[in-house]
Amino acid sequence: MEEEGEEARALLPGGPDEGDGGDPATLAAPGALPALCDPSRLAHRLLVLLLMCFLGFGSYFCYDNPAALQTQVKRDMQVNTTKFMLLYAWYSWPNVVLCFFGGFLIDRVFGIRWGTIIFSCFVCIGQVVFALGGIFNAFWLMEIGRFVFGIGGESLAVAQNTYAVSWFKGKELNLVFGLQLSMARIGSTVNMNLMGWLYSKVEASLGSAGHTTLGVTLMIGGITCILSLVCALALAYLDQRAERILHKEQGKTGEVIKLTDVKDFSLPLWLIFIICVCYYVAVFPFIGLGKVFFTEKFGFSSQAASAINSIVYVISAPMSPVFGLLVDKTGKNIIWVLCAVVTTLASHMMLAFTLWNPWIAMCLLGLSYSLLACALWPMVAFVVPEHQLGTAYGFMQSIQNLGLAVISIIAGMILDTRGYLFLEVFFIACVSLSLLSVVLLYLVNRAQGGNLNYSAKQREEIKLSHAE
Amino acid sequence: MTSVSSALWSWDRMSGCEEPCRGWGHCAPSPVLLLSLLLTTAPFGLLGEETRQVSLEVISDWLDAPQNLLHVRAVGTNSTLHYVWSSLGPPAVLLVATNTPYSTLSVNWSLLISSDPDGALMVHPKDSIQFSSALVFTRLFEFDSTNTSDAAADSPGKSYPPYSLAEFSWNNITDSLDPATLSVTFRGHPIHDPTGAFANGSLIFRVQAFSRSGRPVQPPRLLHTADTCQLEVALVGASPRGNRSLFGLEVATLGQGPDCPSVQEQHSIDDEYAPAVFQLDQLLWGSLPSGFMQWRPVAFSQKQGSRESAMSCQVSPLYPTLAYLLPQSPIVRAFFGPQSNFCAFNLTFGASTGPGYWDQHYLSWSVLLGVGTPPVDALSPLVLGIMAVALGAPGLMLLAGGLFLLLSHKRHSEYQLIN
Repeated sequence: MEEEGEEARALLPGGPDEGDGGDPATLAAPGALPALCDPSRLAHRLLVLLLMCFLGFGSYFCYDNPAALQTQVKRDMQVNTTKFMLLYAWYSWPNVVLCFFGGFLIDRVFGIRWGTIIFSCFVCIGQVVFALGGIFNAFWLMEIGRFVFGIGGESLAVAQNTYAVSWFKGKELNLVFGLQLSMARIGSTVNMNLMGWLYSKVEASLGSAGHTTLGVTLMIGGITCILSLVCALALAYLDQRAERILHKEQGKTGEVIKLTDVKDFSLPLWLIFIICVCYYVAVFPFIGLGKVFFTEKFGFSSQAASAINSIVYVISAPMSPVFGLLVDKTGKNIIWVLCAVVTTLASHMMLAFTLWNPWIAMCLLGLSYSLLACALWPMVAFVVPEHQLGTAYGFMQSIQNLGLAVISIIAGMILDTRGYLFLEVFFIACVSLSLLSVVLLYLVNRAQGGNLNYSAKQREEIKLSHAE
Repeated sequence: MTSVSSALWSWDRMSGCEEPCRGWGHCAPSPVLLLSLLLTTAPFGLLGEETRQVSLEVISDWLDAPQNLLHVRAVGTNSTLHYVWSSLGPPAVLLVATNTPYSTLSVNWSLLISSDPDGALMVHPKDSIQFSSALVFTRLFEFDSTNTSDAAADSPGKSYPPYSLAEFSWNNITDSLDPATLSVTFRGHPIHDPTGAFANGSLIFRVQAFSRSGRPVQPPRLLHTADTCQLEVALVGASPRGNRSLFGLEVATLGQGPDCPSVQEQHSIDDEYAPAVFQLDQLLWGSLPSGFMQWRPVAFSQKQGSRESAMSCQVSPLYPTLAYLLPQSPIVRAFFGPQSNFCAFNLTFGASTGPGYWDQHYLSWSVLLGVGTPPVDALSPLVLGIMAVALGAPGLMLLAGGLFLLLSHKRHSEYQLIN
């Protein structure tokens, strides 16, 4: 589950503290509407924001189900780590292609409302098939489930962003992006800490562990997807209603993808791609395999291992807006990326070569991961002309998914044959390749006189001089 | 009085020999070997030999029904290690280290099988003995783990009546002696088996000696040296008495004093050879260097020993016990005379959840026995190589780039000066 670099510049007073009481359907008369039901009022937008946040909750919750239940999945389905990691690979495969077409499908084929509903359905069906695979003790069915889930998951994130732009553009957009991202992280965290407990409860009520227990647990986890689908339906209704009342246009991603643009991509952009792929493959597959690592190497209990495995997401939720603000105010993106990559390298080395308390390393990983997201993704906009931005972001997500799919499988294979130390060394090598690319990017940028590493002040001055 | 050898194999793999050559001392040790011997022999003559001439000899008693006695003799330049394995009584092994390459073992069979075997086994010359101890595998436990919850993980569950390994009958090991791998297999089943649990099954002790250091392909891939022997204990095909039976092994050793030695649990960062096992257990008989047992706390429920068949192996602390509580081992008695102080400990394999014996009716656990300093795992060259490249490349890049920028900056400022 990837994010675009989201930064929230303004922290508006008041959060989504409104309950969702008051059915807007009964109060559809335009004119004298209560604040909650008036699409032009803040209170109504907050209701929409709440729905938007929960729209993504299900898919983020279920994405990391395998990581949260790693031991159980491997034991009940009798698969090795390589096959286990296929569950993540199958999620990524469809997105290698869909990253280019998600925007197109939303804009031209389905429209935002139907697009969101359809993608939510994919997520639901995928999760149900995934759970059925457990109930029927068919691992191939679980793989199909993850594939279907993957078709919906990533595109749903695009739809979520499109809704956010359409409702909040020029108002509280950055904050909304930040909140959505935080919600995604909360979904992942809740999953990590809840699923193991849920499994043990199901086990207690069914009387024994086994593939049926696993399937039932996953099916219960799928309720979050139903919740998201309900949000998608509610949003579609509210969006249509707003269109009717405010004569507002249906949201568009505005993404124009031209694959022929790829040949015009500059060297710095390719370096950014390499940084992105090499960095993320050392974070997500690691989290996917992390739980057993913490129990075996550091002697953590199952619950403590879940907690520490989710700390990256926990830290990322509040720190993303803070780092976003920091990078905005200071500029110097390459230096921030460099800091993030070096910190990640250090944290992986701590995990690999020391027996120090892993909380230190994982907190560092959480901080650096949040910092990287805030500093790396906006850099694309500095090196690509605006009309190619959609293609560049699509491409970046696509190769990131390709990298995740391939590396997930490789990581599982390494773990089965060579163990965690070698796996960590492999991740260190990936991060180091990322570091190499950052250094190269810095040098290339310096040599070409590029603008990637300007401070915020320099950027301001250049903007002014262009305006003159 | 003299020993009669029915099978005598020696396998010489001194370094410098590409082809293994039979017999004694056909190959001259290479200079590297001599140098390393000079370096390692200084403090303790009997320790740290790089390579040894290892011979496996099945000493049989041609008067009586075949009884298994295996003599592993590992000769170094100035030391000899003797491992004597026997299934006479419960399976047992003697470890004897001497500081001369000429020490020999003598066996008096008629005395050994008598009721008072004192002095039936001797190593000559007696004053060359630097260390000696013994291990006896006394009982095979079986537990019912169905009603144990994770919370009470310390107890493996209700115990079935244990199998006494003294009441097992064993194959003739001569047929199983493999001179290429320096290994011998003891295969046994209970003499009285009223339930037929071992009708298609057996308990296997596979002993392997080594002429040089290395690492087997089979997990848990314990690092061995020429000073060590590996024992693999496997339970194959026996019908368990419950659906979720856990097995355990009782091991006894000679007490070296009033206290029992303790099992050290070493945590390591390196699980390259035993994926996801970050612990190495060691039993040292005395202060270093002495005899040792070393094992990874892992057992396997499948022959391939893949990671999904790995189960944990719990070890109890050693507790003092009296000789009459344990089945008597004639070879221990024969070598050490009457001893009253023994120490025992229990190993339990697996847990109520996860892989177990019930998967394929297979269980295997390996342990290294040796004398001297236990082998220590080091990071593999591959790991070190990758780390060197992974950390070196960005560092060099940074350095080179920094220099380049510095120089170009200088030139740039010079241009500005001219302007």
